Amino acid sequence: MIEFDLLRTGAARPAAGADDLRRDLELDKIVAAASGGDELVAEVWREVLLLADSSPDSISYRQDAVRDALRNRDAVLGLYRIANETVDAVRRRVFLFRPHDPAVVVHEAVNGLEVMVASLRDVLAVLKSAAFSSEAFRQMSKSVLDNINDEFLASAQQLVKILRFENGVQFSVRIGELNSLEDPVLLVPRRGESNILSKVLRRDEYVYRLDPRDEAGAYILDDIRKWVLANAASTIFKAFKHLDSFFQDLRRQLAFYVGAINLSGYFEKLGLPAAYPRLSKGALKFSGMHCLSLSISAGSRPVPYDLDVEAEGGFAVVVTGANRGGKTTFLKAVGQSLVLARAGLFVPADEFALPSTGAVYTHFPRQEDRTLSYGKFEEEVKRLSAIVEGLRRGDYVLMDESFSSTNQVEASVVAEEVVAALVDSGVNVFYVTFLQDFLNRFLERYRERAVLLVPEVRQDGTRTFRLVRGKPTPGYAIDIWRKYMAA
Amino acid sequence: MEYLSILGGRGRRIDEQIAHDLRIHELLGDIFGKRNDDFLRSLYLEQLDNEEVAVFRLNVFRDLLKGEVLDAVAEFVERVNKAARILETEKDAYEEHRIGMHVDAALIYTEAVETAWSRLRGLPIESEGLASFTRYLGEVAGSEKFRELGRRAREAAEARDQIKIRVWIEGDRIRVTREEHGEDLSALVDSLFSRFKGDGQGAEVKYIKTTGDASHIHAAILRGAFKMYRTQYDILRRFSEDFPSFIDDGIASFAKEAEFYLIYINYMKSLEQMGYRFTIPSFIDGGIYVRKFYNLLLAKRGSAVPNDIQTDGSRRIFVITGMNSGGKTTFATSFGQIAFLSKLGLPVPAVEAKIPFFSSIMTAYPVEEDVEESLSRLELDVARAKAIIERADSRSLVITNELFSNTTSDEGLLLTRLFFEELAKRGSYCLFVTFLHKAADLDGVITLVAQPSPEDPERPSYVIAPGRPPAEYMAARIARRYQLTYGKIREAVK
Repeated sequence: MIEFDLLRTGAARPAAGADDLRRDLELDKIVAAASGGDELVAEVWREVLLLADSSPDSISYRQDAVRDALRNRDAVLGLYRIANETVDAVRRRVFLFRPHDPAVVVHEAVNGLEVMVASLRDVLAVLKSAAFSSEAFRQMSKSVLDNINDEFLASAQQLVKILRFENGVQFSVRIGELNSLEDPVLLVPRRGESNILSKVLRRDEYVYRLDPRDEAGAYILDDIRKWVLANAASTIFKAFKHLDSFFQDLRRQLAFYVGAINLSGYFEKLGLPAAYPRLSKGALKFSGMHCLSLSISAGSRPVPYDLDVEAEGGFAVVVTGANRGGKTTFLKAVGQSLVLARAGLFVPADEFALPSTGAVYTHFPRQEDRTLSYGKFEEEVKRLSAIVEGLRRGDYVLMDESFSSTNQVEASVVAEEVVAALVDSGVNVFYVTFLQDFLNRFLERYRERAVLLVPEVRQDGTRTFRLVRGKPTPGYAIDIWRKYMAA
Repeated sequence: MEYLSILGGRGRRIDEQIAHDLRIHELLGDIFGKRNDDFLRSLYLEQLDNEEVAVFRLNVFRDLLKGEVLDAVAEFVERVNKAARILETEKDAYEEHRIGMHVDAALIYTEAVETAWSRLRGLPIESEGLASFTRYLGEVAGSEKFRELGRRAREAAEARDQIKIRVWIEGDRIRVTREEHGEDLSALVDSLFSRFKGDGQGAEVKYIKTTGDASHIHAAILRGAFKMYRTQYDILRRFSEDFPSFIDDGIASFAKEAEFYLIYINYMKSLEQMGYRFTIPSFIDGGIYVRKFYNLLLAKRGSAVPNDIQTDGSRRIFVITGMNSGGKTTFATSFGQIAFLSKLGLPVPAVEAKIPFFSSIMTAYPVEEDVEESLSRLELDVARAKAIIERADSRSLVITNELFSNTTSDEGLLLTRLFFEELAKRGSYCLFVTFLHKAADLDGVITLVAQPSPEDPERPSYVIAPGRPPAEYMAARIARRYQLTYGKIREAVK
């Protein structure tokens, strides 16, 4: 049997909160760049980018295949084109408008078989000329070549011709209860002895000719024909569907790599670096990482980010700073790279190492208050609790100004509880926040497992939009009070 | 031995007005479902005059309600009916079909008789009706003629099984040959394309033939088959010639009459699944003891509330009062249905039922507007009362609903008292539904009251129990809630 799996995404369960992730991380921009308008590529990319589960093995399996696809660009694009054209041609030539009329089903399914058997020849030619090296593509190629050869193609073509039933249908039948005909079995036709011999052997054959005026009889004969074809129609339809799903699967799985080829071209055009992420236990490290969606929007290479965190189990990266520049973009950049890494793709960075392949969740502010029956804070808490329900050790939670819908003091208490609990549970947290109580208390308590990033401000006061390590700013309140008191 | 009817005897058709008041047609609608059988329907409208016949039928029910007997009888009836249906249709069939249909009808029939006989004779049957039929069945099954029928039918079916032909349909020509060593085309397709993955789900092509199996085209194909298989054809043909008809008359009658029981048991089962119970009534003189009886029409919606009714027979008039929409009429109608069903010899909807074998059931329910207005409403009521009194005897059941309500309550009470006196003289049973609370104070009556719900005294519980009518009417209660009492109005009006 022909089996291949270029993606190894398993059951491809979408991550909980996938819709939030897609919106908050602007994944549609990335998908659009990769698909170049090809809806199938977009669909497959969305699916792979939003996977709930992604094991280290499946990631390196796809990484190898992406490298292979970039090396065998022509073969991958060629196969994708054949699969696409075949699927389109089938769609044009097969009309299953009456799925319960066996004669129609057989006729249409055979149309489809004819097209697809012809396409198999082209697939074979491409596979024979390609030089795949990755496990994914080599296995696919082998499975197809092992199962399909010229002999198969010849038999298939001959069978397609028989299934046209140009000389009528032949079937065996028994006589069952009430002398009704039963167990019809469609037979491979035997050549008719329409010569002198048949006349000699007349005793062995009974011939009934329909009266040309017998319209009812003609209708019944047609009914019998359909009844006989019904069982075979299921089998033929199944054969059609099998072959059709071969091309559908092929084209769907290839679509992911076609997207990778496209995105690679995009990187080159924008001058973005491309790194294949690696797994590095207990450390998150990247350098020269860009926000891909911003890069795509701006058509340029935006500010790069660097980070180097070492912590066994969970850690927290806290980002603060009064100015607007870059904090949310940083969160997006991190999230996008994590998502691309999990998909087995290259990321826009010079280097990228991640501590786990856990799922990514976002908790970003919602502009509009969708549920009127709840307060804004309750809505936030509710949303976060939904995320927490599905969390596992090694997952990533990206929080943008969470809890800021209530006053700083009580929000900080909640934030501290939440973030401390997440980190202690082995979850990796990225948190952009202005909550002063939280910043001071949490960063003190979690000195070993948390870092603070602040926007870089040069000596001359200009901003670089880069983020650098910082320290919680001490309170100036007493100073101010004294200052005023002194005045 | 002659066949003894399983029905025991026949009765007299119920008066249409009484059937209407007791909602018997609706009940039959539920019992019969979509089934349309005039014979059965007429049986279900015939009240028996003879208590013995009712007991005869109830005894048959007793046997049938032992599951095994029911299974055996139901299966037997179904098969005999099936055989009869085939024999009926074969009359219009082509000879090529007919010779086969005849064999199948015989196979079904002989198997039905043999199976039923071997099953029933081993079961503890106590009713006269079923015991007699079982003996009859044994006689039929043991006859030489019957055995020969079975042997020959099986032989013919075996001959038919040997036939296998190849049919070639090309244009308007059908060619039939013997089939040997053909190659299955579907299997070929499958072997070639199964190397492609996929579960083929949704690929099932389900074709339903639109022209049946018995057309002249089918007959032509069979003709070809028989030409190729001459010996087998001769065996089939000779069977029909030798056994033109074979269903025993007694068995045919039983199959028809047994439906009387089977259809009701089906109906019982549908309600029993919802937790309701049926009991076989026993007929006693004087008293009424019915426990947890309920309304069948409400039961199918799962909303029937069970009630009890009893008397030792010294008092026979029940006055039913209490809150509006409290289930009074339902109570009376349900009891009327029980009386009616018992007079058909049917199990009744209750946990226990000891009742007289009522000589007649009479009703006086509110009538729709009399178009001719030949009589005033009050006159009409009195006329109906008179008709009842004329026919009433010590085993009559009279059910009235708001009789004498078309006058003042003093007058109504007076008429009621007079009516009761007449009934008492005759010793008749009466369920008298009324909003005249004072009727409960009349001599020699049993007073029943529709009880309010314990949780909310303004809602009904649909329980009807012995007691005094409530001191205050519901309407007065509601008026008080809106400050419309004597005191409040006095306070309000300055």
